[in-house]
Amino acid sequence: MAIVNLHNVTYKYPLTETPALQNVNLRVKEGEFVAIIGRNGAGKSTLCYTLAGFVPHFFKGELTGSVEVAGMDASKSHLHEWVLNVGLVFQNPFNQISGAKYTVFEEIAFGLENIGVPRDEMKVRVEEAMRLTGISDLADRSPYSLSGGQQQRVALTSILVMQPKVLVLDEPTSQLDPIGAREVFGVIRTMAEQGMTVVLAEHKVEWIARFADRVVALHEGKIILDGTPREVLTSDLLLDKGFGISRYTSAARKARELGLWRQEQLPVTLEEAAEGFALTPNASPKRRCESK
Amino acid sequence: MEVITQNVVYFIVVLAIMVLLFVWAYLTGRMQKEFTTMTWVLIPVAIAINLTIGQIVLVLKLPVYLDSIGTVLVGVICGPWAGALTGALSNIIAGIILDPGWFPWFPVAAVIGATAGVMANIGYFKNWWKVVVTGFIIAVAATIVGTPISILIFGGISASGSSIITAFLLETGRSLMTAVLTTNFIAEPVDKIATSLLAFAILDGLSARYLTRFPRGENAAVEKGQQQVQLIIALVVVALLILFGIYVLPSITSG
Amino acid sequence: MSLNRSFFVPIDSPLHRLNPLTKLTFVFAMIISAFLSVPDMAPALAVLVLLTGFIGKVQRQYRTVLLKLILPAILFMFVMQSVFLPGGETILIQVGRFDVARENVRAAFLTVSRVFVMVSSFAILLLTTHPSKLMADLTRRGLPPQLAYVIISTLQILPQMQAKAQTILSAQRSRGLDTESTFLKRVRAIVPLVGPLVFGSLVEVEERAIAIEARGFTSPRAKTFLYEVPDTRADRLIRWTLVIFTLLSLAARIWLS
Repeated sequence: MAIVNLHNVTYKYPLTETPALQNVNLRVKEGEFVAIIGRNGAGKSTLCYTLAGFVPHFFKGELTGSVEVAGMDASKSHLHEWVLNVGLVFQNPFNQISGAKYTVFEEIAFGLENIGVPRDEMKVRVEEAMRLTGISDLADRSPYSLSGGQQQRVALTSILVMQPKVLVLDEPTSQLDPIGAREVFGVIRTMAEQGMTVVLAEHKVEWIARFADRVVALHEGKIILDGTPREVLTSDLLLDKGFGISRYTSAARKARELGLWRQEQLPVTLEEAAEGFALTPNASPKRRCESK
Repeated sequence: MEVITQNVVYFIVVLAIMVLLFVWAYLTGRMQKEFTTMTWVLIPVAIAINLTIGQIVLVLKLPVYLDSIGTVLVGVICGPWAGALTGALSNIIAGIILDPGWFPWFPVAAVIGATAGVMANIGYFKNWWKVVVTGFIIAVAATIVGTPISILIFGGISASGSSIITAFLLETGRSLMTAVLTTNFIAEPVDKIATSLLAFAILDGLSARYLTRFPRGENAAVEKGQQQVQLIIALVVVALLILFGIYVLPSITSG
Repeated sequence: MSLNRSFFVPIDSPLHRLNPLTKLTFVFAMIISAFLSVPDMAPALAVLVLLTGFIGKVQRQYRTVLLKLILPAILFMFVMQSVFLPGGETILIQVGRFDVARENVRAAFLTVSRVFVMVSSFAILLLTTHPSKLMADLTRRGLPPQLAYVIISTLQILPQMQAKAQTILSAQRSRGLDTESTFLKRVRAIVPLVGPLVFGSLVEVEERAIAIEARGFTSPRAKTFLYEVPDTRADRLIRWTLVIFTLLSLAARIWLS
């Protein structure tokens, strides 16, 4: 069952000539964890906004093709119905703080207040969501007094507490330090493992390679690759189009030129690389590299 | 005491007009169109801009307030009702956290936002000289609403700096009403024209694409090909109007 | 620059325990009576408000507000009006070439009492009521939730922007921006100070709008509230008393004039 179904979607922001998305076709199965990669301006954010209903409802502009997510049709539904089914978390943690609340606990309850969840149920759901993301100890702090990583986990919790069917994340760790990024990734992984449908736009390919079920590569508003992490992330096409690729893939590619990598598949993660190099017979480094 | 009774009548008339306008705008749905989520999120930022720039200006010791730039911004790109709400809340919130003395001036702030919105809706926020005209009209509106408040609540002399001018005018034998009206008519245009010009400069720096997210973003679309001469003519005309006003006001209010 | 988030003092007192609407009713009852009732009412109410301030166990903070904010403004107004208001026959004293008439001193005293009642009763409300409790209670009673959002959000954004302004001010000063000398130089200083402050916060608006939309801000369903703000029988009693008091004080004005 496809919970996300984009068919021939082309979209232009208001006052622009070039479409931000062109003929995009994307199906995501329930429970699948799909990662979207692409350079800046490739249309990752636009795709995330489309899945979350903000394109076209919030941004206006011109949308053609059909967008169906969790049984809703973009041309027929309102944004306030959409957000009940699809949760969106994006880059800047600071801008995702509502500003309407003084403590983290209240901040997370904000969405539930808006959609009219009864008080008793609200408290239970907030506490449960905070336990899941490991921020229970921050309950009484002001959201503005937190670190970026903590703020991003609060933003994530504020969305998860609304129990969306699909979770869309637009580079949620790009503005965090390594520790904050690791904490946020930890939560995303838990959600994916619990069977939530997750769509994640992300640069950190080594992490994607380990945990995503599928990777979609966007370039100039078009999907150019769609497949398993290993297929997509080691494709030569990514190199041609200037995508950021795993340093292990680059290393192995170089090693292959030098005859040091004999496997058919290039690696994406450290483990794969280590395994591959370990399997290479006569791995004695012959220095064929021209000196520079 | 007679002045105060006059003022009460005046207030009731103003209030009645506002209620009628409100009902009209509500029933025709004009008001609701101005309040999108973008508007609701912009208003707190605009209020913070009002109060923070107001404080910076105090630090710089300039003879203006510039405490309604945000109000004018909202009025222009969201609409008159949103502008009015921003102005009113700006003063109410300043009353809450800075100094409760701001509170009684909220109708003036509301009128500033509403006037900016109306002027922008008829296309008078699109180039420099039109913005000068808008600033002047805002000042006139602020004077009309501010003078009775000044007299009714603060007895004509409040704790603000311009009260010194009022005191001076009183000493030269003018009536209370004339003195306060003249003071406002000197102080307001300079402030409101500067405010409008700064708001325009800010809007000019924002991308057209970003502005389309707001209900009336097209109000700020800059007209090209204007000359500096127009701006200078507008400033001169406004300066003459102010001088003329100061000369004429006493005879109007005494008669 | 004040970095106060609000005046609120987080302690427990009889005034803190009152329902926010009760305190708001008190504020408006005092203001309406002070301005619209018989003139002599204003000084009496000023005393009443002053005494109320001491039930709240916020004497220290209340005194600070009085001394720092209210008294200077009020004294200035009192002196200026006594000296400069026109007319008046019974001359009390002469200050230079200005006559201080008894009538004007009386008028100034009344105005000052009214302003005191207005400002001081508000201060009491704010000292004893947490802004989010106030907003939650008013929203429950029908205030549009968007308005509550705007007020609380402003209270949180403002200190941040003031801090940013302070940073920009010192940064630009250290780069040699002239904020002290001639008039023209100070005028020119506005742009480098205002620009960085304004553009950054305006660009944030779009993302924050998306973030709160994503959390059901425009949901048409009836809102619920995390906190229950108690509203007791005593609250209702006080509110009705205040309403009746206000009506009586207005009646007194009509009766006596």
